Amino acid sequence: MAVLTIQHMKKSYEDLQVLSDISMTVEEGEVIAVLGPSGSGKSTMLRCATMLEKMDAGDLMYGQHVVAKDYHGKAVYAKKASLQKCKNMFGLVFQNFNLFPHYTVLKNVIDAPIHVQKRNKQEVIQEAKELLKKVGLEDKEDYYPCQLSGGQQQRVAIARALAMKPQMLFFDEPTSALDPEITAEILKVLRQLAEEKITMLIVTHEIEFARKVADRVIFMDGGVIVEEGCPKDVIDHPSSERTKAFLQKMEG
Amino acid sequence: MQKQKKNYKKHLFLWLLLCSLLVGCGSALFAEGHRTEAAASDDGTTFTVGFDAEFPPYGYKNEEGEYVGFDLDLAAEVCKRNGWTLVKQPVDWDSKDMELNSGSIDCIWNGFTINGRENAYTWSKAYIDNSQVVIVKSDAKIKKLKDLAGKVVVVQADSSALKAFTGEDATAENQELCASFADLQQVSDYNSAFMNLESGSVDAICMDIGVASYQIEQRGDAFRMLEEQVSSEQYGIGFKAGNTKLRDQVQAALDEMLADGTFASIAEEWDLSDCICLGEEGTDSAYRQDDSSIVKSTFGEKVISIMKRLSGGILASLAIFLLTLLFSMPLGLLVCMLRKSRFGLVQWIARIYISIVRGTPLMLQLLVVFFGPYYVLGMTLSSRYRFYAVIIGFSLNYAAYFAEIYRSGIESIPVGQYEAANVLGYSRIQTFWKIIFPQMVKRVIPPVTNEVITLVKDTSLAFALAYTEMFTMAKQVAAADASILPLFVAGVFYYVFNFVVAILMEQLEKKMQYFS
Repeated sequence: MAVLTIQHMKKSYEDLQVLSDISMTVEEGEVIAVLGPSGSGKSTMLRCATMLEKMDAGDLMYGQHVVAKDYHGKAVYAKKASLQKCKNMFGLVFQNFNLFPHYTVLKNVIDAPIHVQKRNKQEVIQEAKELLKKVGLEDKEDYYPCQLSGGQQQRVAIARALAMKPQMLFFDEPTSALDPEITAEILKVLRQLAEEKITMLIVTHEIEFARKVADRVIFMDGGVIVEEGCPKDVIDHPSSERTKAFLQKMEG
Repeated sequence: MQKQKKNYKKHLFLWLLLCSLLVGCGSALFAEGHRTEAAASDDGTTFTVGFDAEFPPYGYKNEEGEYVGFDLDLAAEVCKRNGWTLVKQPVDWDSKDMELNSGSIDCIWNGFTINGRENAYTWSKAYIDNSQVVIVKSDAKIKKLKDLAGKVVVVQADSSALKAFTGEDATAENQELCASFADLQQVSDYNSAFMNLESGSVDAICMDIGVASYQIEQRGDAFRMLEEQVSSEQYGIGFKAGNTKLRDQVQAALDEMLADGTFASIAEEWDLSDCICLGEEGTDSAYRQDDSSIVKSTFGEKVISIMKRLSGGILASLAIFLLTLLFSMPLGLLVCMLRKSRFGLVQWIARIYISIVRGTPLMLQLLVVFFGPYYVLGMTLSSRYRFYAVIIGFSLNYAAYFAEIYRSGIESIPVGQYEAANVLGYSRIQTFWKIIFPQMVKRVIPPVTNEVITLVKDTSLAFALAYTEMFTMAKQVAAADASILPLFVAGVFYYVFNFVVAILMEQLEKKMQYFS
């Protein structure tokens, strides 16, 4: 059963077509890495999928919930209330973490479940503490984000996204704002999540990252999906020239 | 802890430095007063007359923009006879004593009442006999002085009329009359007195007969004068206390003019022949007064007496300050929201509002808020509206500034904060109040502190509506005492007030330091 279905997604900014025709499905428990050079459209695809941007044309569905449906080449979005419901079905971890600086670590994690999802406060706190333990920050719950390192902040952001109990998680280049040695910290958490069969879509530059956690790799360039398949095939035996050129550049 | 101690020391040091600086300036100003005595006339070339340019027919600006008047004509003739060049120096009536004491003017010659001020100046002989009369609207029911009971009466600040009612030498009769008024208010010039009367915010004006006759002639029959008069008094020329040398030179010329008929002909030109009293018996008591009778009190006594008299004004200033903040800060947020509205029309209304408020003087806005309801809508103003108008005017003004400060604060918050809130499913209202607003508050504290400090000082602008806050009161006390000291005390008050405000805001800023 597909958690996310995208069909014929198109997006332009004025005259510039950023996404030409993107279609993909994400199955439950699957970990997908989206690779591609800067300007390939991978971030725009992620922003459209998470409703931060509106796509121009195409279908977008979370499970059975329709976010937008193509109608004569134009994406028609669902009503506000059902969009709000769909927002509860995924979480997003940003490149710059975007934690709320005036909230403590714990409050960052529990605020939305309590005030948006209206869940029981005690239960949420209990779960949040477990999540913080899972990402290795059980002793930091009363700290403010500015007191934490970048890697720690990103782990709080992951806990915050998980606290909403989403069906899948998006990651927007989760390590590109971090020092290379911190990358391993995040990779460890992602592998742990992958083992727990949490559905993830990770937009990244890190080829090693893709190789180590992804079940499937999607390579994008020029607003289209150039190649997709299991990491071994796409990364080690790419069929497309564009993929080869990118991989060569990245691996020096 | 160590750091705090250091900060405290730094504060103390700055504070002491400032105090010594202020005291230094103050004593320099007082000293200067003594040095420049009679300086302008000693060189024999110029004679500077200080006058209120809004006091016809004694001294005013005519339609050609020249300063003319009975007193100025007399001064010109005196100068001619002494071989001096006349300099006509219009002064703010409230600061006439500072002008005189600092030597920037040589005398006050402008329908200047001797009665009640005998000890504060060295006087010429009295030359005009003047009385205080009451002006009301033509259709008012007031016929006699006793009809003024329960009415609001306005006088010019530090005028003879004010002295006649509340001065130390006020007659028992006048004090009783004054006690029967609902309120005795003060304005800075006669033009605003007439605006107040016309708009109904006051019921009567009390003023000099010469000025009153002139004003009624100019303004037509909308106003009339009561036949009964309030008190009788005389005009003289006021010189700096002790400057008898210059006084005698001027008096000699005046006596000469009286003898050869020039004085009478100038009086006739200005229609004041009936009021002349120069040379009459019993009118030169102030002139003959011995300088030694001018009482001097010590510096400490003066400061204490000034602080006592300013205390009412301090409360008024505090009230303006606190109420303005209370209303303008939330109002500013509302204006900011309108300014950021997605609806073009709403956004433009907010833009125009901010543009007008920031583009025109606060003093003018206060006048519009106060007199607007009468002149635009024809409503009759109650005297209580004066205070409301001050608060409304200040709040509307400061709201515009706060709105722009808030807007800059909101716009400086990274877009990622909105995106994170959006993905977590927060509503727009939740996003604003839970995520954006607290971060905005922290960011706007420094510019808001600036505005708050400006507001402390701006409270003095309430005088434009004749609301007697501390600075207006200080000017009055300065005028009554013929001393600059009350203004200096007022300055210290503003400084201390702002010092406290700055410390409080700094504490708040520190409290918000827990996140960045």
